[in-house]
Amino acid sequence: MTDKIQITIDGEEHSVTPGQQLIQALWEAGVDTPNFCYHEDLSIAGNCRICLAEVEGPRGWGLMISCHMPIRPGMNVRTQRSSEKVVNARKGVMEFQLVNHPLDCPICDKAGECKLQEHYMSDGRGESRMRDDIGKQYAGGPDHQSCDRKGQTRGGKHIDLGDRVLLDQERCISCSRCVRFMREVAGDEQLELASRGDHTYITTFPGEKLDHEYDLCTTDVCPVGALTGKHFRFQQRVWFLKKTNSIVPDDSLGANITIDYNEGQREGAPEYGVYRLMPRRNPDVNKSWLHNDSRMLYTQLTENRLTEGLKHGEPCSLAEANTAMSAALASAKKIAIVASGHATNEDNAAVLALLEKLGDRAELFGGSWLAVGEGDGIARSGDPVANRRGCELLAIPDNLDQLCERVAEFDCLLTVGHDLWAADAEKAVALEGISERLVFSAWKDATASRATVAMGVRAWAEVRGTMVNCNDRIQMLQACPICPNDELMSIWEAVSELSGVEWDSAAAWKAVKARVPQLADVSYRSIGALGQQLVSEAAVAASAESAEV
Amino acid sequence: MAKIIPRPQLSLLEQLYFVEVFKGMALTIKHAVRSLAKPETIPVLNYPEVQPELPAEHRSEHRLMKRADGTSRCVACYMCQTACPARCITIVAEESPDGDIEKRPATFDIDWLLCVFCGLCVEACPCDAIRMDTGKAILVEDSRDAFIANKDRLMDWSPADYPAEDIISQEAPGGLLNEQALAAMQGGMFSAGDVADVADKETC
Repeated sequence: MTDKIQITIDGEEHSVTPGQQLIQALWEAGVDTPNFCYHEDLSIAGNCRICLAEVEGPRGWGLMISCHMPIRPGMNVRTQRSSEKVVNARKGVMEFQLVNHPLDCPICDKAGECKLQEHYMSDGRGESRMRDDIGKQYAGGPDHQSCDRKGQTRGGKHIDLGDRVLLDQERCISCSRCVRFMREVAGDEQLELASRGDHTYITTFPGEKLDHEYDLCTTDVCPVGALTGKHFRFQQRVWFLKKTNSIVPDDSLGANITIDYNEGQREGAPEYGVYRLMPRRNPDVNKSWLHNDSRMLYTQLTENRLTEGLKHGEPCSLAEANTAMSAALASAKKIAIVASGHATNEDNAAVLALLEKLGDRAELFGGSWLAVGEGDGIARSGDPVANRRGCELLAIPDNLDQLCERVAEFDCLLTVGHDLWAADAEKAVALEGISERLVFSAWKDATASRATVAMGVRAWAEVRGTMVNCNDRIQMLQACPICPNDELMSIWEAVSELSGVEWDSAAAWKAVKARVPQLADVSYRSIGALGQQLVSEAAVAASAESAEV
Repeated sequence: MAKIIPRPQLSLLEQLYFVEVFKGMALTIKHAVRSLAKPETIPVLNYPEVQPELPAEHRSEHRLMKRADGTSRCVACYMCQTACPARCITIVAEESPDGDIEKRPATFDIDWLLCVFCGLCVEACPCDAIRMDTGKAILVEDSRDAFIANKDRLMDWSPADYPAEDIISQEAPGGLLNEQALAAMQGGMFSAGDVADVADKETC
């Protein structure tokens, strides 16, 4: 840890972390400082001027933009709390930002999480000095300009930028965040600020579309409603949405997300559902970014769900499926159990407990047939098996191919949260040689449809559990209360019921901890929202040795 | 803290009981005779057949206001749903075919069994799209579902029932100002009323 340095804010001494910009120091000291163009994971542009603060320099007090003012020991700063000059300057900046900004808030999807709204309330003038007889005179984007019914010059609305993003030119405040995102993070400069002064507008290159695997991140960084995602257009007002912290289930980096859902006003309300996944800032994992494919995963939470049991493809109740599974397991001579890297550690611990209970009659298999791709260095590792590292820690073997070769030895197959037939149908065909196929699945997927007994379970957004990412960081999935059927169980609940011990959440976690020495100092609380880096096995062994000495 | 309410002190005459009983019966008989002799003077309305006469400010059943072309003025901004303390409004938004309006309600339901008729939805509306001035204060239906008013029902009103000086109502189809408003709309304006108050009806 570097030592803190002392700076004076509004006459009070504060100790803050060195090596950062003044705006971060002000936030650290608990002073609300507005920002539009400043973004923690992008370069500094310093063009919006809203973060102005007074700083004492060799020529006396002067207004400086705090986002581009490295802090130094003994710095003397005045903010809106003690300086009228700062307040007035910000009001002036705010007025300029709003001169040609449309009054779209009622129909703008950003309303409720819009920086312009927030800072208008905290730093705005409150009263308009605009003249109605002049109205809005928007000057940017000549191709899309129009004259509206009141004779005002208006900018382009809902311009189709690409397959996923819409642009509203007159809402843009030219902060250049999206341009910087595409340039610095995506590494593919597709957006550009054209023209100068109040003629500035955001556009793509002539004839080109915005098309990038991360292009929806531009809608996140946009502080206003200029860039909005088509998938969320007019779906919900953001103030109705509640957030659950989780991680993405389709990549082993485990990008941090929030699941944004609406519980609905009443039971059976049409608005009940998960509406979007948003990246959640974690500087050590995905920064503020999220891959488009991961972001769209919320659609699978309602599509093709297995909300009950299936016996030979015929629907049955969950209880019937459970009974049929127990009976099949009891009568089987040799059972192959396939644990899954798509399931949480708790789920796999329950599978291991079941394996131990079945004793010699059961054998454990694991691994995945899904192709592992390249990491992109932004928010994806390229490995679609999210909890592969967790499986390794739980000593689950990677031997699916062996299972295919030894099919004749088994008369019962139990797969847990793992769509083998979708991963590689050609290899999975061999498994149809096993007469009894039991499946726990959240979806009516290829594996569930080939099962003799399938039982619906909760999907990744509906369970609480842990996964270990490819960099040995243990992270948590939290359960979002939106579920197609409240009677569905998590995999660990269902499996532990099958093995005769009914675990609660604490027991499941305890079972994981008992099997993995690296988790000795880890608890749900210490994992928290941002995860916890695990120490290596060697370090655990070394510390155990030193304890013995 | 408990509030102590003193018991009413009865006079001797009241304590005698019989005097008060006969006084009450006399009142009952008086009304009974009056209802037979002069029924029109009784201060009782035949509920629910008779609508009471209400002041113009009375908050009664909602209606959704219409543009000159008969579409709803609502832009599905959810302000009413947000403001509603009884949570009786349910809106589902969709893309409007008119690119200048962008957004419109696909469904707009008000559950009058939940509604507390507080008028906050009317206050919240930035487009003057919802009003509670229909004067219908008595709701009689034979099922719970029938108390849920959908968009069509909320827009089923006639400008003839509203005063001539109510500009927005008269701009609706069949209203006195409809032709004028329709012409304005074809000329790129949404309503003649909008021209009058340029200040704050931006997105409506």
